[in-house]
Amino acid sequence: MTCDVARAKFFLYLDGELAGEEQAALETHLYTCPDCQRLMHLERTFRTRYLDRLGPDPAPEAVRREVVRLLEALPARDVRAWLRSHRRPSMIRLGTVVVGIVLVVGGGVIGVAFRRLGNGASVSLTQLAEASVEQHQKLTRGLLPYDVREMSPTRMEQWFKGRLDFNVNLPELPRKNLALLGGRISYLRDSQVAALHYQLDGKDVSLFVMPLETYRQLGLGGRPKFKIVTYQGYDVIVWASHGVAYSLVSEIGGQSCLVCHSPDERLDFPTGFRAHGRL
Amino acid sequence: MDPNEEFQTLTVRHLDSLHAYALLLARDGPRAKDLLQETLLRAFRAFGSYKRDLSFKVWMFTIMKNVSLDWVRGLRVRPVAEEWNGEGGVGGNGEETAASVVPLDPEQILIRNLTVEHVRRAIKNLPAIFREVVELREIEGLSYQSIAAIIGRPIGTVMSRLYRGRNILRAVLQESSSDTVISRRAL
Repeated sequence: MTCDVARAKFFLYLDGELAGEEQAALETHLYTCPDCQRLMHLERTFRTRYLDRLGPDPAPEAVRREVVRLLEALPARDVRAWLRSHRRPSMIRLGTVVVGIVLVVGGGVIGVAFRRLGNGASVSLTQLAEASVEQHQKLTRGLLPYDVREMSPTRMEQWFKGRLDFNVNLPELPRKNLALLGGRISYLRDSQVAALHYQLDGKDVSLFVMPLETYRQLGLGGRPKFKIVTYQGYDVIVWASHGVAYSLVSEIGGQSCLVCHSPDERLDFPTGFRAHGRL
Repeated sequence: MDPNEEFQTLTVRHLDSLHAYALLLARDGPRAKDLLQETLLRAFRAFGSYKRDLSFKVWMFTIMKNVSLDWVRGLRVRPVAEEWNGEGGVGGNGEETAASVVPLDPEQILIRNLTVEHVRRAIKNLPAIFREVVELREIEGLSYQSIAAIIGRPIGTVMSRLYRGRNILRAVLQESSSDTVISRRAL
């Protein structure tokens, strides 16, 4: 073994990552080479004097306190309340500002159909759309594993029953080109929701079912029944019905309504939305 | 022990490490807090599938890294790897075989009689792509295999980044006069 080869293995050796013949060969070389012995001694000294004394910086006391409170809330399933009172709102505020700017300049990134919504409800709707799109991306990219898969809507409803404190009523699959791939319990803006991943003609569609309380807390309600937001290129449709609320995310506009409706049903969408243009 | 209690105990035991890694990945305190919270929520839900022969810290770091990658995909933070634009090395992206690198002699650093805090600061100032593996190894004491699992890269990449990171660190500690000189010597 040459000195260069030996020295290239010093880190491995001291990290305990060398074994067997490689380790024996290096030790033999060290035994016979005073220069490498000297360097190895310096390496050990460097480690002892500096690296072995390093440890992680202590977490700030405020963080420690919050984590302890969160840990206490986790088993009690009281996480939503905890997060509502502790989560940093800056990203949401930032998102709202961005949405506001884009709306003012009339940009094409975010188009919003807020016509009959008040300002507060508009902001809430945007936040809900943002959260829905984020979950949709994770769900459809496989980053959020399904809790249940390959089940009929009826069986999936049964699965959610007892696990969520609201009823999950899923539409039957009215078309052959529509598949329910899987579902999971997820979170939308700190609220526990049923997240369903569909494919319609091979296009991903996510349906989030949430408690009506969440929808009301966001200030959403009344008309229009179907509230529509285009966010980051995704079409988000939000509505309430039969004691729960829904958020439907896709890239196929009103075509995604086929998850719930037959093509010949007439729905109340604002003019200009590509709601049923391609149905 | 009750699983909830076990999760709490282990989390509190490793909280300094978890917070430090969250800071490294998220870049600032408020985002680090968010990342830590989201990691804890995800880990708590998955704790039933946690295999006890794996280090809890490594398991949590892996979850945290995945959460941060989710954020990167959602553009909430910049990816760590994009920060390094050094031109040196095979392929120009900071990757090369570890065997081709010989460590810089630490004698000059020892002569300078620096403090541990000097070294800690120098590690924090490493390019993020190297800082991650150097911290996981030197501060958290993790094996190459664990680091590879956490960052989702082969062991060879871990070794390569570690060698480079350590050599940059040594160059910085030896002579902090010029970044250009340092990068040439270290790379």
